[in-house]
Amino acid sequence: MMATRTTKPKKSQTEDSNNQSSPLTENLDDNLQHIREGLGNSLDLIIRYFQTIDDAPRIAAVYMDGLTDKEIVNEFISHAMSFQTVNEEGQKLTTSLDIYKYMKEKALNPGKGKSVTTISELFEALLSGNTLILIEDMAEAICGNTSGGEVRPVSEASTQVSIRGSKESFTETIGVNISLVRRKIKNPNLWVEPMTLGAVTQTSMAIMYIHGIVNEDNLQNLREKLQEIRVDSILESGYIEQLIEEGGYSPFPTLYNTERPDSVAGNLLDGRIAIFVDGTPFVLIAPTTFFMFFHTVEDYYQRFDISTLIRLLRFLCLLISMFGPAIFVAALNFHQEMIPTPLLINLASQREGVPFPAFVEALMMEVTFEIIREAGIRLPSTIGQTVSIIGGLVLGQAAVQAGIVSPAMVIVVSLTGISSFTTPAFNMALSVRLLRFVIVFVAAFMGLYGIAILALILIAHLCSLRSLGVPYMSPIAPFALKAQKDTLIRSPIHFMKIRPRLNNDNSNVRKKVVKGKRVNTNES
Amino acid sequence: MKVKMRGCLIAYLGLALSLTGCWNSRELNELAIVSGIGIDQGTKPGEYKVTFQVVIPSATATSQGANSGASPITIYTSNDHTVFGALRKTSKQASRQLFFAHTQLLVLGESIAKSGISGVLDIFERSHELRLNTAVLISRDTSAASILKVFTPQESIPSIGLSKKIQNTSNVWGENQRVDVFELINKMTGEGGFTVSGLRMIGNVEAGKKKSNLEQSDVETTITMGGQAVFKKGKLVTWIDGPEARGTDWILNKIIETNVDIDAGEQKKAVAVNVLLSRTGVKVELREGIPVFHVNVSEEGNINETKSSVDLSNTEEIIKLEEAMEKLTKAEIEQAFQAAQQTGVDYLNFGNELKRTHPNAWRTVENEWDQIFAKGTLDLKVEAYIRGTGMRLAPFMSPEK
Repeated sequence: MMATRTTKPKKSQTEDSNNQSSPLTENLDDNLQHIREGLGNSLDLIIRYFQTIDDAPRIAAVYMDGLTDKEIVNEFISHAMSFQTVNEEGQKLTTSLDIYKYMKEKALNPGKGKSVTTISELFEALLSGNTLILIEDMAEAICGNTSGGEVRPVSEASTQVSIRGSKESFTETIGVNISLVRRKIKNPNLWVEPMTLGAVTQTSMAIMYIHGIVNEDNLQNLREKLQEIRVDSILESGYIEQLIEEGGYSPFPTLYNTERPDSVAGNLLDGRIAIFVDGTPFVLIAPTTFFMFFHTVEDYYQRFDISTLIRLLRFLCLLISMFGPAIFVAALNFHQEMIPTPLLINLASQREGVPFPAFVEALMMEVTFEIIREAGIRLPSTIGQTVSIIGGLVLGQAAVQAGIVSPAMVIVVSLTGISSFTTPAFNMALSVRLLRFVIVFVAAFMGLYGIAILALILIAHLCSLRSLGVPYMSPIAPFALKAQKDTLIRSPIHFMKIRPRLNNDNSNVRKKVVKGKRVNTNES
Repeated sequence: MKVKMRGCLIAYLGLALSLTGCWNSRELNELAIVSGIGIDQGTKPGEYKVTFQVVIPSATATSQGANSGASPITIYTSNDHTVFGALRKTSKQASRQLFFAHTQLLVLGESIAKSGISGVLDIFERSHELRLNTAVLISRDTSAASILKVFTPQESIPSIGLSKKIQNTSNVWGENQRVDVFELINKMTGEGGFTVSGLRMIGNVEAGKKKSNLEQSDVETTITMGGQAVFKKGKLVTWIDGPEARGTDWILNKIIETNVDIDAGEQKKAVAVNVLLSRTGVKVELREGIPVFHVNVSEEGNINETKSSVDLSNTEEIIKLEEAMEKLTKAEIEQAFQAAQQTGVDYLNFGNELKRTHPNAWRTVENEWDQIFAKGTLDLKVEAYIRGTGMRLAPFMSPEK
């Protein structure tokens, strides 16, 4: 081993990776040396030796500081060491094998101690927060889950805020996240499949679904996609999203992400699959349809008439934020006859001193707005407000007074900006933001004709997209009459008897909802 | 290979896009928005004198910090044999290209109206920019050019003001009716004559074209509606005013709302009835070559004012008033009909009605319709209803006092 350490780093790396799949040796010191070297003598690796009486074999406990809960580690070790005091058959356990067996079968609670035989297994266990006990002359290590340490507590959702509904949001710890959902769906059919991804990061992941509701084809499809992933690192669920997305060059996101447990629960109950990634509070939902991005969980908590109105408002805002400046530029440059006469004269008088064409004016204001927004996001919230005041009020006002832009353009651009904030999903809002520039450009070239053509292309593109095989625009294209109850509008809960149709799955009938009580139907 | 082809295709398409340019893209501040067009007889025979009223946006009342001294409009005038020629010739005077999609008003001068207006309207149908719903008015005793020069109170752009004026009076008084280019062309291609509302200038142009004209409560020069011009074969023949004009509109079923002052017993013209609904049905038949015009008018209204002491809570009194209202309307319509017969021009649309309902009979009278029309008899029935008396019943002055 010493020889490998002195060789070039590149070579040692390859050797290390070879060593990692090798089995543990019977030599305790060798094993420990392996571990130390494997982790590059990292500071947070803790090895505790236990030399019990006389000729008893030496024992070492290995764990990572920070990934483990100190109290649990101590408890685990003291349980494991109890072989010294408990002598059932009146004789001391002196051989390594006896101690090992005793530890594994008696001293630790059944199931708590697992055995680890290879170095790679050992590292995986160690870095997941387990404590390992190695005994002299044994080629196996006992591993117990002692994970803990400092984690962020469950706090209020910061990006998907709701007035009504649960306030909790996911944290960075996958176990906590899974438990948050399980608390909402107390059903044995809520299944969680673990997996690990990322050759270097070894990130834990889990896919969660409700057995019996989820479409097995979709599930198998997702499993295959995830298994095909070969990547060094998974630092956030965004990596997974980009790796399994169909139509990777589309401006539209084809996977939904949320930090709200109730949103995940609702989607699971619709037959969708949730993908949890350790280290991020954002959980992916698949398959995703376009309209999911404009629904919020709160739609279901408020009364249906109000929710319907708010949903329609969101779709209106989508149109405004996409086409607002484009239609304005097109009308101003190509279709002056469409503007009512008093308004036209008004606009003309505003534009009288403006030295730029309407398109340049729109572009300038849009870019300014994007700069303000980007600066506001990256800054601490206290300074962020200052930026928006300076940017919004001072710049907007001054630009108008200086005659560089017309007040009407400021109105259009700010309305567009505000409209884009009504999209509940931030990633969809980003796509619309990007497309807006393309549409303004086309509008400046070809007027409403160009807007119409681009809109057609966009619609065709949206209809061609799929997420896990499910058409992105469903249930509008392909049209499903029954699903219209929960697409553009939100009908009363007792009308929603079927789940969204995800692939050709006919078992999509919900439990019959009767106001006040639930009655089983035999269809499901 | 395939990727290379695709790359080339995208590049070519992208380049093609840049070739198109923005061929009819025009910025707002490159346009001269024409609010009104006036057409008069030109100096040389066969020439038009075309006047354009162009909006100056920066000086309109809507713009921030509008320079109160500047005129919100300017006038360009050109002479040419065609309207289009004149408007292109105007480029010699105007710094921006004229833009016609927002033309609110077409004023035809009395001079051109007398010599025939059929030639000037073609461009309104042919051009994609000029609109067919532009209001048409005839200037009376003055030229179209001077009408367009006069500032109007309240509306900073006179053409908009005038087109609102005609709309307003059509809606509540009924002596005039708003005719747009499309209707005018329809009327011209129909049988008989037609009427178009007129504009009259009170005061003189020199005072009216100054903005200082507006710096007084009682403006020196103003433009009012002035009766209706009667056209025969596209040429102005005479003017009708007052009851004749309103009676004409009554026959043409163009009354939207109006006011009639009716007699209450002994007191003449003592009750004002606001006619809110009026329908006219016209049937024309030929009896032994003589046309009979059946005109059925049904009108409804509310009493809005009375200076009589009639007890309006009494139904019998109301019935009497209704009879008086019928009588008054009848008299007005008959007056209008007689006026039309005297001019010998069927601007009451009877010819078209006969042609529509009895095409065979029409063919027999087609050629000398004007003379036959003048011999026709009117069979007039008026039904009047008073539906309400406003917010009180009996007047506060009792009959005894």
